[in-house]
Amino acid sequence: MSPLDHNRPRGKAYWRSLDDLADTPEFREFVFREFPAGATEMLDSGERRQFLKIMGASLALAGFGLAGCRRWPKEQIAPFANRPEGRVPGAPEYYATSMELGGVADGLLVTSFDGRPVKIEGNPEHPVSRGGSGVEAQASVLELYDPDRSRYPMLRETDSRHQSSWHAFETWATKHFDSLGNAKGGGLAVLSEATESPSVGDMRARVMKRFPRAAWYEYEPINTDHEMAGSNAAFGATYRPQYSFNRAKVVVSLDSDFLLASRAMVRNTRDFAQGRKRLLDGTSTRLYVFESAFSLTGANADNRFAVRSRDVSAIAALLAARLVPDAAASASAREQSDRATPEVLGLDAAVLDQVVSDLKQSRGDSIVLAGPRQPAEVHVLAALINEHLGSVGRTVRYTPLPDATQSVPSITSLTKDLDSGRIHTLVILGGNPAYDAPADLDFAGKLSSQRLKSVHLSIYDNETSRLCTWHLPRAHYLESWADGRAWDGTWSIAQPLIEPLFGGRSPLELLAVMEGGDVRAGYDIVRRTMSESAKRTDFEQAWRRTLHDGFLAGSAATLMRPDVRRPACIAAVESIWQQWAPAPAGEMELVFVPDTKVYDGRFANNGWLQELPDPMTKLTWDNAVLAGVEAAGRLGVTTGDRVRVTHGDRQVEAAVCVMPGQCSNSVTLSLGYGRPHGGTIAEGAGFDFYALRTADAMGFTTGAVEKISGHYPLAQTQDHHAIDSTAGKGTQARLPSLFREATLQQFKDNPRFANDHHHTGAHAVHRLSLWNETNLEGAVYAWAMSIDLNACTGCSACVVACQAENNIPIVGKDQVLRGREMHWLRIDRYFQGHDPETPRSVGMQPIPCMMCENAPCEQVCPVAATTHDKDGLNVMVYNRCVGTRYCSNNCPYKVRRFNYFDYWKRGPEREMGLLHVKPDYYTKPQTDMHPLRRMQMNPEVTVRSRGVMEKCTYCIQRISVAKIEAKNAWVKMTPEQKQRQPRATVPDGSLTTACAQACPAQAIIFGDMNDPTSRVSDAFKGARSYQMLEEINTKPRTRYLAKLRDPAPVGAQEAGSAGHEEPNHG
Amino acid sequence: MTTLAIDNTFDDPARRAPLVLNHTDFGSVTNDICAVNEAPKAPRAWYIAFAISVMFLGILGGLILYLFATGIGVWGNQNPVMWGFPIVNFVFWVGIGHAGTLISAILHLFRQKWRTGINRFAEAMTIFAVICAGMFPGIHIGRVWVFYWMFPMPNQMEMWPQFRSPLLWDVFAVGTYFTVSLLFWYMGMIPDLATLRDRARTRVRAIAYGIFALGWRSSMRHWHRYERAYLLLAALATPLVLSVHSVVSFDFAVSQIPGWHTTIFPPYFVAGAIFSGFAMVMTLAVPARQLWGLKDFITLRHLENMNKIILVTGSMVGYAYIMEFFIAWYSGSLYESFAFINRATGQYAWAYWIMVSCNVIVPQIFWFRKARQSIAIMFVASLLVNVGMWFERFVIIVTSLAQDFLPSSWGYFKPTWVDLLMLAGSFGLFMTLFLLFCRFLPIIAIAEVKHTMPEADPHSHGGTDEHHREARA
Repeated sequence: MSPLDHNRPRGKAYWRSLDDLADTPEFREFVFREFPAGATEMLDSGERRQFLKIMGASLALAGFGLAGCRRWPKEQIAPFANRPEGRVPGAPEYYATSMELGGVADGLLVTSFDGRPVKIEGNPEHPVSRGGSGVEAQASVLELYDPDRSRYPMLRETDSRHQSSWHAFETWATKHFDSLGNAKGGGLAVLSEATESPSVGDMRARVMKRFPRAAWYEYEPINTDHEMAGSNAAFGATYRPQYSFNRAKVVVSLDSDFLLASRAMVRNTRDFAQGRKRLLDGTSTRLYVFESAFSLTGANADNRFAVRSRDVSAIAALLAARLVPDAAASASAREQSDRATPEVLGLDAAVLDQVVSDLKQSRGDSIVLAGPRQPAEVHVLAALINEHLGSVGRTVRYTPLPDATQSVPSITSLTKDLDSGRIHTLVILGGNPAYDAPADLDFAGKLSSQRLKSVHLSIYDNETSRLCTWHLPRAHYLESWADGRAWDGTWSIAQPLIEPLFGGRSPLELLAVMEGGDVRAGYDIVRRTMSESAKRTDFEQAWRRTLHDGFLAGSAATLMRPDVRRPACIAAVESIWQQWAPAPAGEMELVFVPDTKVYDGRFANNGWLQELPDPMTKLTWDNAVLAGVEAAGRLGVTTGDRVRVTHGDRQVEAAVCVMPGQCSNSVTLSLGYGRPHGGTIAEGAGFDFYALRTADAMGFTTGAVEKISGHYPLAQTQDHHAIDSTAGKGTQARLPSLFREATLQQFKDNPRFANDHHHTGAHAVHRLSLWNETNLEGAVYAWAMSIDLNACTGCSACVVACQAENNIPIVGKDQVLRGREMHWLRIDRYFQGHDPETPRSVGMQPIPCMMCENAPCEQVCPVAATTHDKDGLNVMVYNRCVGTRYCSNNCPYKVRRFNYFDYWKRGPEREMGLLHVKPDYYTKPQTDMHPLRRMQMNPEVTVRSRGVMEKCTYCIQRISVAKIEAKNAWVKMTPEQKQRQPRATVPDGSLTTACAQACPAQAIIFGDMNDPTSRVSDAFKGARSYQMLEEINTKPRTRYLAKLRDPAPVGAQEAGSAGHEEPNHG
Repeated sequence: MTTLAIDNTFDDPARRAPLVLNHTDFGSVTNDICAVNEAPKAPRAWYIAFAISVMFLGILGGLILYLFATGIGVWGNQNPVMWGFPIVNFVFWVGIGHAGTLISAILHLFRQKWRTGINRFAEAMTIFAVICAGMFPGIHIGRVWVFYWMFPMPNQMEMWPQFRSPLLWDVFAVGTYFTVSLLFWYMGMIPDLATLRDRARTRVRAIAYGIFALGWRSSMRHWHRYERAYLLLAALATPLVLSVHSVVSFDFAVSQIPGWHTTIFPPYFVAGAIFSGFAMVMTLAVPARQLWGLKDFITLRHLENMNKIILVTGSMVGYAYIMEFFIAWYSGSLYESFAFINRATGQYAWAYWIMVSCNVIVPQIFWFRKARQSIAIMFVASLLVNVGMWFERFVIIVTSLAQDFLPSSWGYFKPTWVDLLMLAGSFGLFMTLFLLFCRFLPIIAIAEVKHTMPEADPHSHGGTDEHHREARA
């Protein structure tokens, strides 16, 4: 019996009072208060007691008749006496919702099984996401079920902190805000995360109405301050640029990682992938990237130039001067601009000429964009160049952001106000400023002032919560009503799929408490906002439509073409040349980037994201100081050595990770790690570089890096072999065959290059088998997958999607170090070229199971646990597997994963003990899976036990559902219809795998190879289609479409590719 | 008993070298060999060795329990090196288990009489080595509680094993080999067990040996049946010597991992197995003959003959190493060439060069007669060969898996403390069994060794052997 059975809400046998029987909040609070203050904090590991409390809450909810919203896994099946209409137990339901992050909402579609949200996809109807999603959205469902989530309001008194209740908070709040109301809100401040939510805006207005003297601040550690400042300077108002990468022929990125570190990542990736298709018609499409860190965008560039981030502004100014006559430097600045020679910038002399000529040639079809790290002036110049080249209105448009607040000025002024004592009540809606505010503000110090009454609403009891008077558990976005604006301004609705698991509340509901009005429920607030805004007679219908779609159709912001103010541009150029000077030799630049997994740190306790390999470094469970190959040599360090990073009098000791392609005078520091109170998963993960980030240098700064003694193990899922080692040479030798790519010219010369054995270096194939091959004749379906390497950017959304769909456990750092990560789908990242400092290109290759028709794994399994099914799938029979692991040894693609322990039943471990094995890891009793974690499991997929091999199934559970539906539909057909269609078929496109569904680039196509009209059949017929390792005659069903690049013949990058070492320098 | 230093290592084809020294009658042979078992107390060294062995056996047992309780992640196995120490140890022990049956069966068929001095404990070593070997595949699977699914037996699931898998062939090959070797060993021991029974001074011994002697009365009919059966079993066992390691090599050769997928494996593995088996016999024989004063039966000539076999098989193994490189080059396959270049120069080069020095270079010392006859040199050499042969399996299994086709999956296998202690523990199991065998069973084939004495030859009366004349005089 599961532990749940003991605690099932089935009423109590004994009770101490009638209130106990009713289990009212008052009574529960009384019970809590019976214990000495703080004692309840010690229950962290007491799973049973905690669980009893959850069940207590659930019993209370059951009393309100809301039990139907939540289903705990039970052993017994208790059918409804009266089934609610339209409800089929076990059948998934889909709800459209949205998740707001960094002020931008992503439209999502959530799959819910019996009241439990289990899987998140992009909303296919949503104008921005169009079915794609990023890693954060994919992984957010795990956060909902995180056992570390905050469960109770916490109250900090003079010297202790103890558990309290919402009731107590409301009592306090009513009194407190009433007294504040009398003072018109003097001394009250609200600090919010960046949000564009119309409802929050509405509530803000209402709160401000009650407290006219209150102040409202916004802070977001990963912000677009510079972009906004640039927009204000250039246009006199805040605009958000909307790029159409699908139409651009030349894109010049000035330190912008628009394919990953952007809240428009989903749209950008899709558009970019679409734009790359133009190469197939022989049209040139080029992405130039100037950046210090090797970003994912840099990896997808045709020409990437590793330059210091601080020099990017000089490059922008030089480009502007060459393109726009107005932007030429004044005489006073010219001297400085003359010093910005290509050598000083670390560029080939011809690079800027090439970029300028490319931009001029594709007037109107180009995009120049600046990254959020770059100062406002660079954004001004980017806007200027785009306007001058006629791109505005074609590839670049703008949407207004009238209410946007710049984070750094906002929190700086808040800190000042806190300092001066003007503020005595601070309400913090989400966020974690004690951890991520600029280090020089000492926000945490100000927050812990005894005079200050502070309230923090947060999903976790985090660093900030601990310093506040009140910590309040926040409802997850899957538990609450909310809304937001998508990247294009579309009004997107967030609706709850489940009752708050821990009784959390949303920011809207907290604001309602502050406002003291009658409307307190999130639902009512959101509905009111929309009804007031829409003011339509048929509102009810529109509301229902909005809930169904997840967004209000046609609510996108108007696209505008504001004019750039020329004086601002000239001022920008002047300002750049005033500030820029050649970097002194030996100076090290520190570049702060949002982490590709934990973002600003808020996802640090999310195991899926912690274990997701960084797309470029393949690092899991930690961040590191990314240093270039040459810089590492200079510092005398290799991956895993400890270094001290110093900026002024602030310093952080961290581990270094050597990264090819990283600018040699610059180190990259990703934010969001090293959290002191991040939760059990985040504990001990990585290093906190916020400690070096000051308000005046949020993007990059200068500092020093020095080696210190010690070694820190970094768990990378893919080793990078030194280029001159045997392994490195071996890797380079086989890459042309494994990852096939060509330049545009090579493709034009030989469109069939991908299967030209001379070109790829692969062996000719002899179709000769020693045994009878699996007989697949007469199969109804032949499932197959085509992965377009030309579209894939390597964003890794598919990896998390696969993990969520298929109940794939996380294993912990210790096990990743042992190479035991369980991801069924991985993305291989290869640096190509013979210069480790500047790799010629980067290959990103997603590897699911190849579903070989001639599967080597099947031949060697002694118990026939892996076999072929009728559809030609290589299936894994978990029940039959005894775990000899021979199949994995014989798999040339190494896609099989073995469950060495019951990973589901153990927490992930970081530490390593004797000889790299921590004994108590293994001796710990194997408890059953955490009940909360169990709720996230996809009920359609087996949870595998220890000692069993597992691997990608092409989401066989989805295939089964589709086949059954097709069959049922066919059976219901009329005889005439049946005559026309002699058997059940699954329509192409109606079925897809989790990875393909998540992919924002739509690089993965899944379908039936037997259907000659299916998209996958089309893809296989294409000239670029190739089978990896086809020479060993495995006949893989997963095939690749070769990549095309269009590098300009300049710079350090060798233009040759795919096995040809053609010196093609311009 | 006096032990005279008599040199029987001469190479004079005109003279038949004596294989038993200092004994002129059967009675003294019986007395001397049975003394090992009949002594009231074993030598002190035996107790020390036994205590150490049992300690390691205990560690092994504890670790197996630990393994079953927690999962095979306690080992260093990882992706891509899914097979680590357990399978290395398996192949290593199976290889050790080759010498015994080779000595008893093939040398018997070839009428190599010198085998009689060493065949009994070589066979015992085989049995114990195969027990050690058989243990590892059993415990290395992920779900040990269903290990029997690998055997073809009727079951309610109506599932047969998958007959194309070399692992299944392994089950058959090792199972057959073990059964036949055990029978062969036991049957050969029956006359000697009867001897011990007849000489027993206590009732317990008499009954215990009596049960296992199966009522042997040394009648002419018994001897006739015995000789026939022995010959038949020898004929049966001979192909098994070749087959078992060939089949074990199929585990690798049948797969398609570069470094595994090669046709040279069956003969190469058999040669290697004989090589390692003889080295292990040597490692055990040298101290054993010292400890129990069996130098008259395991003479320098025996040892020298074994050294010659070690030299030959070691050179065959060396040839195979070179041939692998040639084929890798000749195949023109990128992956194949890489696998071998990488072995010699890559991340596991240290293991490769340990293997080459121990297996190819060290045995070359036996070209010199002095080295072949030096107890110290041959003992050290045999130890090194054992080390080298363990590393050979390590190199084949681990280096091939660690870096196969896709560079993205490449890894570096590192053993855990459990791996290391289990390897040591398997030696504990082996030595415990072997020491018990030495204490309680006749470690030299009493009946057979007498056949090699001139006295066994009806025509040897007043024989031509000068040595015997001298001895008699």
